[in-house]
Amino acid sequence: MRVSTAANQRKHVSGWSRKERHYVYLGLAFASPWIIGFLAFTVYPFFGSLYLSLTEYDLFSPPKWVGLQNYEQIFADDRFYKSLGNTFFMAFISVPITLTVSLLIAVMLNFKVKGINYYRTIFYLPSVIPIVASALLWTWMLNPDFGLVNMALRTLGLTDPAWLLDPRYTKPSLILMSLWGSGSGALIFLAALQGVPRQYYEAAQVDGANWWYRFWKITVPALSPIILFQLIMGLIGAFQIFTESYILAGGKVDGSGSLGGPEQSLLFYAVNLYQEAFVFLKMGYASALAWILFIIVLLITFILLKTSGRWVYYGGE
Amino acid sequence: MKKKHLIWSLILLFSIATGCSGGNPSQSGSDAGDKPSDNPPAQDAVTLDFWYGWTGPEAEALERLIAKWNSANPDIQVKGLSQSDYQKQLTAITGGNPPDIASQFGQNVVPWGLRGAMMPLDDYITKDGLDLKDFVPAALSTSQHEGRTYAIPTAMHVSMLFYNKDILQEAGYDGPPETISELKEYIKKLSIVEDGGRLQRLGLWPGMDAYTFSYAFNGSFYNESAQQVTPDHPGIQSAIKLSKEIWDQYGSDNLDRFSSGLGQYMSAQNPFFSGKYAMTIDGEWLPTFIKQYSPDLNYGIAPIPYDENKPELQNSGNVTTSVFYIPKGVKNPDASWKFIKWMTEPEQMAEFTAALGNLPTRNSAFSNPLYEDVPGFKEFLDYSGSENLRSFPASSYANEYMTEFSAQYDAILRGTVSMEEGLDKVKAKIQPLVK
Repeated sequence: MRVSTAANQRKHVSGWSRKERHYVYLGLAFASPWIIGFLAFTVYPFFGSLYLSLTEYDLFSPPKWVGLQNYEQIFADDRFYKSLGNTFFMAFISVPITLTVSLLIAVMLNFKVKGINYYRTIFYLPSVIPIVASALLWTWMLNPDFGLVNMALRTLGLTDPAWLLDPRYTKPSLILMSLWGSGSGALIFLAALQGVPRQYYEAAQVDGANWWYRFWKITVPALSPIILFQLIMGLIGAFQIFTESYILAGGKVDGSGSLGGPEQSLLFYAVNLYQEAFVFLKMGYASALAWILFIIVLLITFILLKTSGRWVYYGGE
Repeated sequence: MKKKHLIWSLILLFSIATGCSGGNPSQSGSDAGDKPSDNPPAQDAVTLDFWYGWTGPEAEALERLIAKWNSANPDIQVKGLSQSDYQKQLTAITGGNPPDIASQFGQNVVPWGLRGAMMPLDDYITKDGLDLKDFVPAALSTSQHEGRTYAIPTAMHVSMLFYNKDILQEAGYDGPPETISELKEYIKKLSIVEDGGRLQRLGLWPGMDAYTFSYAFNGSFYNESAQQVTPDHPGIQSAIKLSKEIWDQYGSDNLDRFSSGLGQYMSAQNPFFSGKYAMTIDGEWLPTFIKQYSPDLNYGIAPIPYDENKPELQNSGNVTTSVFYIPKGVKNPDASWKFIKWMTEPEQMAEFTAALGNLPTRNSAFSNPLYEDVPGFKEFLDYSGSENLRSFPASSYANEYMTEFSAQYDAILRGTVSMEEGLDKVKAKIQPLVK
């Protein structure tokens, strides 16, 4: 008896009691759909692509080990640099602009005016529309001769560019399109805005701070964790931009046309990767491209998180 | 107690695991043979899945042929599926559960065939005595590499010069340009440029099909004996120079502005239909579109202009094809072959291509009376017999080659690279892929 109690006690200290173990199994069983999905569709492909990036693989015949050859080729590839440049442009110019605009929209939508709910709906509405549909819609809006955008520009006496055909304007066209969808970002900001304690504003007002000062000194710091979150998500999204370019500059169905628009100005990283993998059948090379993208995104996220301490304020600290 | 729970969790795990793998094509046990069919087939009938890329009325034409086959062949039932996402074929073949027959674009045949995704058909061709000499050589060459045939071309496309008779008459011409120098003169005279460079009308869009014109100058993209890709071949350079000369007369800014204001290709606002282009280089399907969208257009169809110094190069053109093939890993290749063979027999080929407004690939189909009703076909059928038709050399890297070439062609026209520099880049990028 004594021995068994001791054993029981030891067991209790080092591990789980029978009851606890029972709950752990039960819990694992309930989580198993996710666990299996995670292993099969995330972990396995993740390491699978790492392996494939070190091989020559055309999808049909077994992969052939080539070591780092794919990576060496990438760094000598014009299309890699071109697509990376285009993607950086979208990430570092488009994302901050979209972020600023959605913050401003959120501030506007936070005013207590009559019918504010309608405005909120209207600003959010474009985010519900699928990218394919909105891309097609924008090809009409950006039509140089009878599109709405240029009609407005002409009325104001400004130049009316050939948006989607002039390589200098193709990326700004996409930025314009992404602004149209900034309602979803604004919604998150709006939720955060409503969580900013009113007392701060009241106290500032008593001290005679004007609107602009209150915005900079209270609203922006209070929202900074949300700004960081949106910035990171936006950057990750921008690094994977694909659909807009595929629709707007998708060449022909038979794949013979060059994807990427005039002078490859819309050849983004993901578009290039897609083409290498599924048109040129270079799956190994495309996997290597994907890993480089992963490392770039990881680095940027890491740097952002590391430096964020200087400008992000958490309410609890 | 404990054991019971463990067993239950295992059962749960197991059922989920098997549930997951049901969606995995490599493990699903359903082979084409035992899928239920709508119309009860004969006892030992096989059912073949046939994926084709056509949609709408074109798919209906194909379905009519499939129905015809099914009623005549109770033992081999074909089930057509319009599947215009060609990437799906890749996934299906890789996953080990491919369709039994599929259609593809000609330029993918050799890249896929060499990598083992398409079954070589040579044994069948020899066994059934299929006469490959009946096929248009340029069309057949898209399916062949080093003596092996990976697919059967069922329709082909070739471009000719379309011209607007009214506009040409206004300008004092009573016929289309026949030589390259006449073409240049026509374009200049037919284009209308406003003060300040804004274009009202173009004689011919200068970023024209570089392949067609390369062949018009006897250009060649590959040197077989030297195993060299030759994007810098003098013939190709002449074609690019021709485009560049016209391009520079107007400039990228004006051309971009003009072209982005043009209407949709498949509409009454197609620039050729609306008179924004006096001439255009386009394929055999265009007359069918004209009939549909702009029936009053007074137009003519003429051969691609030739270099007056090389009259032997008259009637040149670039051929692209649509093909049928048997994917790797099908259960019943013999049955698939029987269907492909029947579909590409002159009679069926004529019925299919006449419905689509495409050209047949077999000489013996050309004379089929079905084509008499297809607008503009006489010119194209005659042209299809020309000895100067070429197609882009079929190779495992053909897609990379064409992509790189068109990217550099665009850059050359826009003046961001010189012609020599651009073509050198193509060569440097593609030559290492030659094995």
